[in-house]
Amino acid sequence: MGSTTLRLYLTCIRNTLDAAMCLQNFPCQEVERHNKPEVELKTSPELLLNPVLICRNEAEKCLIETSINSLTISLKVKQADELENILTKKFLRFLSMRAEAFQVLRRKPVQGYDISFPITNYHCEEMQKQKLIDFIVQFMEDIEKEISELKMSVNTRGRLVATEFLKQFI
Amino acid sequence: MACIERSSPALKQILLKLYRAEKSIEIDHHLYEFGSVEYHIQSQATNPLVAYLSISTPPLYHGNLPNNLSPYTIEMVKGICPNLVEIEEPAREGYQLTLKLNLDQIPRNKDYVKVIEDISTVQSVIISSQLKEILCNVNSDDASQGMYKPIKLVYHPREPFFVIRQQQRIIAIFPIRFKEKFDVVIATAFFQELVDVGNSDKWVKTPPCTWSAIPPPELTGEALEDLSTNGGFVSFDISSRHIEGNRLDKTVWNLLNFNANVRYHVKSTKGFIQRRMRKRLENLVEVLHQTNSEEIEQTKQVKQQHQGFAFC
Repeated sequence: MGSTTLRLYLTCIRNTLDAAMCLQNFPCQEVERHNKPEVELKTSPELLLNPVLICRNEAEKCLIETSINSLTISLKVKQADELENILTKKFLRFLSMRAEAFQVLRRKPVQGYDISFPITNYHCEEMQKQKLIDFIVQFMEDIEKEISELKMSVNTRGRLVATEFLKQFI
Repeated sequence: MACIERSSPALKQILLKLYRAEKSIEIDHHLYEFGSVEYHIQSQATNPLVAYLSISTPPLYHGNLPNNLSPYTIEMVKGICPNLVEIEEPAREGYQLTLKLNLDQIPRNKDYVKVIEDISTVQSVIISSQLKEILCNVNSDDASQGMYKPIKLVYHPREPFFVIRQQQRIIAIFPIRFKEKFDVVIATAFFQELVDVGNSDKWVKTPPCTWSAIPPPELTGEALEDLSTNGGFVSFDISSRHIEGNRLDKTVWNLLNFNANVRYHVKSTKGFIQRRMRKRLENLVEVLHQTNSEEIEQTKQVKQQHQGFAFC
């Protein structure tokens, strides 16, 4: 059931990105010779499209904000307990602080979300649109898997250390 | 990890240097460990076969026990290499104990390292013997309405723990505090595993362990600063079989170093998580760069094809 809802969720995101990632170069209307991602500035409402919110459940959602020359994909990752919560925060913050390695990652996520990907028309020119979408969808799957594995590793280490500690009493 | 080993690494280093010196050297070292333990090692060139080791360590229990070492502790210290170590009376000023080390009694074979290591465990012997006395002796002054008051013990500064002696058992309670929330979460996960493992059938011989987020009832009436924690309270039920014979030493040492073990586990887990995140980052970035390089290759091929058509 879990994998089915995940598949549906990811398919919905993929289809939405496919439609939203039709970006073109658009110089800034307010400052001459400047070219800025309109989705970040949000100063010209006529250049912004309606944001789309895709929810898998109450805890997991994806916000896609689009404009004429850029879009931002913001993700809220599932956090079942305190350990997952803190591991997710740590890991995504670790990635965000190294955003320059990813090119399409924001240093600070949009408020209310765990991680954000800003994509501009330049990224779409340098990289293939389908490959970008594949990367983001794969990233979402990998993050969920990585957090689960991290949590399991922490608990397994704790168990091993507890066993070694108790052995010393015998 | 230094604080879990019984011997002091720095003291061991100095004694080994003194023993291995080819010609007689003069040594006058002051060592400080954990902020409160002080050693003073002296050796004169005129008498190279003798060295003096003075030690000052805060007592485990700051209550009614006198600051001087008890006869039981003195006996335990005398048990460290009896033919080599003599207790000097009185101790040097500012120190609780001064030992005279007869270096010519140290064996000339490879056992000398073990002997020097045993001498370097003097501080742990003192502290362990104090806890052994507390666990084994019953002090009627502590009894109150049939229950014994908690005894607050301090091994490392800012990390006190409590020992409560009851009729059939002794309870050791450790208030856990960390500065960062991340550490608290890792430690809490560890305590849950510890309780889980300890309660299984395979480990029935070990002291039962419980974890509680709120102060246990045995600590009712203790100071608020001791009961304010962010990591909860870990309790061990020590019964008579855990303090019989050789097990007494193991139990005492495990209790003294429980906090240190927890902190070491938290620190190494954080390091593990960091290494894993770094590796994952490399994998994720590799996928993206692979995507980019595929784009560049395809673009080159298309350009070459166009150039080929142009020449035709």
